[in-house]
Order: sequence, then structure tokens, then C-alpha cells
Amino acid sequence: MQPTTVYTRDRCVTGIHGLDEILRGGIPYGSTVLAAGTCGSGKTTLGMEFLVRGALAGEACAHFTATEPSVKLLENIRQYAFFDMNMVDSGLINVFDMDVLYSWLGLDKASFELDDVHALIKAIVDIVNTIGVTRLVIDSVTTLCYKIKSEQLIRDFLFTLGKKLATLGCTTILISEITSATENAHWSSFGVEEAIADGIIVMGDSERMGHLLRFLQVVKMRGTSHSRAKHAIELTPLGVMLTPMLKWGASADKTSRWGQ
Amino acid sequence: MFELDQRIAEQLTQVALNSAVQVRVGTANSFMVTASTMIPLMQMFEMGGVYISASRGAVEIIQAFEAIGVDVSHIQFIDLVSSGILGGTDVSYSNVHFVDSPIMLESILLRTLYVLRTMDSQRNFVFLDSVNALAIYNDDRMLAEYLHTFINTFRQREVLTVILNVPDQTPPLVLSNLDTYCTDIVDRGQVVIL
Repeated sequence: MQPTTVYTRDRCVTGIHGLDEILRGGIPYGSTVLAAGTCGSGKTTLGMEFLVRGALAGEACAHFTATEPSVKLLENIRQYAFFDMNMVDSGLINVFDMDVLYSWLGLDKASFELDDVHALIKAIVDIVNTIGVTRLVIDSVTTLCYKIKSEQLIRDFLFTLGKKLATLGCTTILISEITSATENAHWSSFGVEEAIADGIIVMGDSERMGHLLRFLQVVKMRGTSHSRAKHAIELTPLGVMLTPMLKWGASADKTSRWGQ
Repeated sequence: MFELDQRIAEQLTQVALNSAVQVRVGTANSFMVTASTMIPLMQMFEMGGVYISASRGAVEIIQAFEAIGVDVSHIQFIDLVSSGILGGTDVSYSNVHFVDSPIMLESILLRTLYVLRTMDSQRNFVFLDSVNALAIYNDDRMLAEYLHTFINTFRQREVLTVILNVPDQTPPLVLSNLDTYCTDIVDRGQVVIL
């Protein structure tokens, strides 16, 4: 009997220690992945490392920051040994303040309507297209979507943005802030991001006898078989490191105060 | 005069890099056996290493080595004790790293892997001091599972694993698991007084 050829999608190798193993080789190219996590769970670090590993491989990367000014973001990320400011100076890593982008587009308003959303999508896609970005992080999509009042409009925004970026061959991580990372939680603030995304990575804390242990779990990733186990993570100067969480640890752990 | 147990060095010449050595000690001979294991690894075999201290603070161990004239400045210490003591992490040694608590088992593993990645030496060991100290804080089944993962992680990476334990202070389930997963044993758990 002839062996069957198994079709596998090309991968965007994240370069993050352990994550590519969990994903059996990386994120399928052009995917939009929601990285949903509680505060302090390591979402921004994960996103930045994803870009830096791409830059080290010669890829053009972009980071849209809505939660903190780009200067502060870069100062925080400089402590990591994997980061080199030359990546920014040489244009491999491009950091954009969403506030500045809003000003350019004349979107200095409390809430966005349909036209505003389309203008925003066009601006992001134009930047990606012009620079030839292959890795993109939006931090955070939650802050960005606060300005979009209708659930339908949020859905359209994310769906259209994801589709256009995928067409350009850009692999995107949308960072989402959540208040709970429990089994029954929504992986997004608005409840629509998770349905649109090709992949969902959940990050949070488990409390073990008064200590918080960071964890990461890939809940969904279209186009690849992957581990769905909970992994403990450490944010080291060399980047994010992962190891499977102890199975017997689950009985000792309880959900952190963020997970009530 | 501090006397080393030379038979431990002889026994260590027989172990491969991907071995896991269980070292059984008594409460009275713990440091002598530790030194008799560590010194050949550092000096005879010229290995780099990570020392995980769960029984005492790293500074106390470093100073005990200094007191017998052994330089351990190229060994990295992961201290699981001192974070639980106010001011305990204020140390002058640059080769000491801290993990908040001995219950953060996964963090200990990841920190060890991280430290190993920063080291220049080609041949390394990980010295876990000790299983009985970890057993104070952790459930037997969880600790047994952890040691299984711990040993296999380093064996796979060809890092020599040395696991210290005081048998009569180690839960039977954990001890029997160590017997199963360790490839070699140095048994100095019974102190004979002549």
C-alpha cells in the first residue's frame, strides 16, 4: 500500500522556546491569532519576542501599540537579551502608536463609525503592504475595539482586517485583555474576536499556595494539530520559556484572583 | 581537616553525561557527600553546573565550599529558600538566582534550563539539593511526577543530573520513583559510627 501524502501548511516559525513544539512547527502562515491573557501574564513579551525572532530571520515586522507609548514599550523590551535596538533603527521592527495613527487619520473621537473603521483597516493594510510586513502584532485589540461601539462592526473590522492581512501573507497576533482565564471564560472582551481568529492562545495565572504561576495554553489553531495542554511559562532575559504544567499540580492549583 | 569520600569520585568516572545519579545521604554527612560529589565534577571532569538549593540558602552553601578552599564561582546557584526570608535575596554573589518558593516546581525547571542556556561550558550537571526539602512543601504525587519530568528533561539534553536525598525524610512513593528513574546510586544514607 502506498503511503498517503499528508498536506501540511507552511509555518511561521515563532522562534519562541517551546511554542513551536506545541504548534508542531509554528503558526500556519497568514493566520490571525488571538493571544488572550490576564494582566501581567506575558502577552506583550510574547508578542514582542514573536516580532524579534522574525526580525532576526530578516523579516519585516510591525507592532501597533494602543496600551502604552512606543517609547515605554521599547524601554521595557530592552531588558531582554534577544532584543537589539538596531532592529528598530534598520527598519526590521516598526512600532506604531495607535494614538498617532488616529491623529493622522483624523480619528480623534470617542467612538468609530463604519467609515472610520474602514479608514483604520486601510491604514494598517497600507503600512503592512508598503513595508512588506510578514509579522504583525496589535496590542491590544481590546483597547482598539473599545472605540467601536457595535458588536457587528467589531466583527467586520476583525474579519476584514484578518482576511486582508492573510492575503498579504502576514501572520498576525492580536493581543486581547481578559479578566479571567478559566475554563468557562471568554477568550476576548467582546466575545467576537475568538470566533474570527484562526488561533487562540490563552495566558493567565494559576495560584499555588499563594504564588502565581504563569501559564499558556493553545486552545485553537486552524491548519495544524497542536498540543492543548497547559504549559507553565517563565519570562527570562532570553525570552519566553515553556514547560508542561504538572498534572498533579492542577489539584493543588486554584484559579487566581483574576479568574473569579 | 576536611576529608572527601574518594570512592564517590571513582564511582562518578563510570557514569555517562545522560545519567541521573541518586545520592543518598544522612543528616550528619550531607555536606561531606555533597562536596565529595561536586568537587570531582568541577575539578576532575571540568564540568559547569547548576546547583539547586532547597535545603539551605545558596550563600550558606557557597560559604561552606569557600571554607574548605573550593571555588564555586563558575557554578550557578538557584536558591529556593531565601525569597521566603525578608532581605534574604540581598546577596553579593552574582552567580545566585532566586525562585520565589519550592512549590514553584515548573519555574525551578525553567529557571534551570534558562541558566544552562547562558552557560559557556559544554558539559554540565544539575545538582538538586534536595528531594526531602522539596517534600516539605509539595504533595507526594506531584513531587514524584516532577522528578520524573526533571530527570528526563536533563537526560534528554545530556546534562548529568545529581539528586540528593535523605531517605528517611523522603516519602516512600517519591523514593521508589527515584529508584526507578535514576540510572545510578551513591548510597551514603546510612552513617556508620565506628
